[in-house]
Amino acid sequence: MANPLPRTDAAPDADLIAAWRTGDEQAAAELVGRHARALARFLAGAGAPDSDVDDLVQESFIRAFRSVDRFRGQCQFRTWLLTIGGNVLKDFGRRAARRKVLPLDEAVRDVTGDPHEQAEAREVEAMLAAGLQQLPRLQREVFLLRAQQGLEYEEIAAALATTPGAARVHYHHAVKRLKEIVK
Amino acid sequence: MKGDAMNGDARLEGLAKRLGHRTADRLDVEATARKVVERLREQPVRRIAWVQQAWLRIAAALVIMVGGAVAIRQNVVRSGGVHPAHLVADDLTDLSTDELRDVLTKFDELISTDSVAVPEGSTDLQELDAQQLRAVLRSLEG
Repeated sequence: MANPLPRTDAAPDADLIAAWRTGDEQAAAELVGRHARALARFLAGAGAPDSDVDDLVQESFIRAFRSVDRFRGQCQFRTWLLTIGGNVLKDFGRRAARRKVLPLDEAVRDVTGDPHEQAEAREVEAMLAAGLQQLPRLQREVFLLRAQQGLEYEEIAAALATTPGAARVHYHHAVKRLKEIVK
Repeated sequence: MKGDAMNGDARLEGLAKRLGHRTADRLDVEATARKVVERLREQPVRRIAWVQQAWLRIAAALVIMVGGAVAIRQNVVRSGGVHPAHLVADDLTDLSTDELRDVLTKFDELISTDSVAVPEGSTDLQELDAQQLRAVLRSLEG
């Protein structure tokens, strides 16, 4: 293993990726620390069962680190990682029958504040999560990358190998359908 | 109406931003990082094996290419391939006047001079220029 490079919080992802390419495990751990929660949110939003999110996050990072030579900086590392997460989830879905996402009883468990309002909000969230499952995969991922992760269309297009215009169209189709489900 | 649609979009985006938050908050990031590093260590990338496979593929492709070329060449030779006269005609343009004369002189030695279409009025090959010499040689090719 290569000697770990001295790093600060400000070290850009590109430096950590370069360090990992030389075998620096600490760099890999740092990248996990930076992006694991965003990936977990993305996976949960895309329909990953709550109990499997940890495993899916690990699997996504492992695939990303093993194929890091294919990452050419066409988009941010996080965006690239999220698309890998989408592939991992798809493979997972093939292997196992997908369970219901964010079941309401679990969502209500850690309520603070007005229980009625919280329960209502979470019910709407659960409807959104269920609605996302009805969308084609590309629409679902574009919606999550845009609405949940706050990415620009150019960035989404680069990650999904499509055009910004096409990403915009997918997003609007997704919004239209989800509004009907959530209203 | 448009305002309602925008409100609807904003509401949806707000919901989307909250989606998966609780799941992410429950994730033990340090433990996840540790497990990822351990798994990477346990199952290192089989880079060497991949490189070996790539070289094997390249070697196989070369063998096929070289073998194919040899087979094609042998077939061409066996079947007579391209007409030799055609090859001679192609090469004529590359020859100098002296070289053309040498070729014709050799022909003179090999065949009867009666059959060679020497232009009228010429008694000696030395008097012909390159163009005329080429014409003579091409007439010999038939």
